Amino acid sequence: MMDLIKRYIYAVTQKLSESQRTEIEKELHGLIEDMLEDRGAHVETATNQEVEQVLLELGPPEEMAARYRGRERYLIGPGLIDSYKSVLRIVLYSLGILLSFAYIVDFFTSSEPAGELLIEYFVSLLNGEIQAFVWVTVIFAYLEYRGTKQVPKDAWKPYDLPIIPDPATQIKPIEPVLGIIFSLLFFVLFTFSIDLISVYRWDESLVAIPVFAQAAFAKYLPLIWILTAIGILQDIIKLIARKWTPQVVVVRVVFNIASVIGAIILLSDTTIWNPTFMDQLVQAGTLTPGNEAYDVVNSIWDRAREGLIYVIVIIAVIDTASVIMKLFRSKEGKTVLTK
Amino acid sequence: MSEEQDILHSLVQELRRGTIILGVLSQLSKPQYGYSLVTILQERGISVEAGTLYPLLRRLEKQGLLESEWDTNEARPRKYYIISSTGKDIYQKLYEEWKGMMTSLEGLVHDKGDEDDGSD
Repeated sequence: MMDLIKRYIYAVTQKLSESQRTEIEKELHGLIEDMLEDRGAHVETATNQEVEQVLLELGPPEEMAARYRGRERYLIGPGLIDSYKSVLRIVLYSLGILLSFAYIVDFFTSSEPAGELLIEYFVSLLNGEIQAFVWVTVIFAYLEYRGTKQVPKDAWKPYDLPIIPDPATQIKPIEPVLGIIFSLLFFVLFTFSIDLISVYRWDESLVAIPVFAQAAFAKYLPLIWILTAIGILQDIIKLIARKWTPQVVVVRVVFNIASVIGAIILLSDTTIWNPTFMDQLVQAGTLTPGNEAYDVVNSIWDRAREGLIYVIVIIAVIDTASVIMKLFRSKEGKTVLTK
Repeated sequence: MSEEQDILHSLVQELRRGTIILGVLSQLSKPQYGYSLVTILQERGISVEAGTLYPLLRRLEKQGLLESEWDTNEARPRKYYIISSTGKDIYQKLYEEWKGMMTSLEGLVHDKGDEDDGSD
């Protein structure tokens, strides 16, 4: 009954590293022969039952191999599983939301039949989620693999314990996730479908009067892309830090300054606006020149273009002040604690 | 009932795990191969499964407590283990620890009276 014995030994050694295999194979062979002899049998002549008994005593090959390895093997071990789960959840949810937004944008802008779009949406959703799952898992499995090979870390010190997050300075994950989604929407809108930013009027058919002059606007696209990239980077940093630390605040302030500079560069060029906006409104029958309504809209149109810069600057200043306040508040809290 | 037995069984296994090492080290001043060691230990009332002992011997060797040599003169090749000088040193200290634990435990289990005054 050598066959069963060989199969057992193979099943054990398969699960061991190459360097251990030959010797453990030899060792197990000797052991099984010894055990058979102890029962008054011999390898060559042992009955099925005798071999079976010996192998049952040795136990399942997986457990035997695990004892030889001496440590548990994990794809993602207990040290990483919690962060793996939370990262996976964030990635899968935000990807789902993002693809759904993309679908909605597509639905309104694309000329493809609705049915095909819906199928495309489901396919991209399934595809994207599987890809995201695989990548997150691969990255964590690599971290696990590298972690087990690493030399022991420095001794743990109680002062390494993370500070209990102060609700005032905590960043909820939803905030940066929404930020990333809006950044991407912003990017898609300005890059691919700036004509969507229009005044719409239903006049037998849908009439859209674009706010921006697409050709003139196009040369500022790199600026939009840089701002989007900084914005997403900022959100990723927030997602990792999960609280307002000095670094996160600095990145936020840099983003605000960049936004203001970008807005000034963009808005100080008057050619980006649709030059015939007012005329088109008149043509669409919305307004009549000389009318009071026309004057009002005209002055709003003129002032809005200048006013937008101020609005952006004011928002940036308020935001900067509020995040610095948050940091200041947390500093105050810390000094109170240590007193 | 069977659940109780399971709990007892696993607790006994836990207790036994450490003592097996002491038992193994105590018997290896003369070279032994794995299965002969299983037999010796079982005869002396220390029940240990071959499937546990073989990996343990390899581990102790890797840690430098044992030395090994393959004997190919017999009918089948066997790996003989013998305690190293580091192993002897560690065995002595481990045994002292074990004795200390036994004494303390005996004290805890038998002299309950003293403890009762102290507690509460």
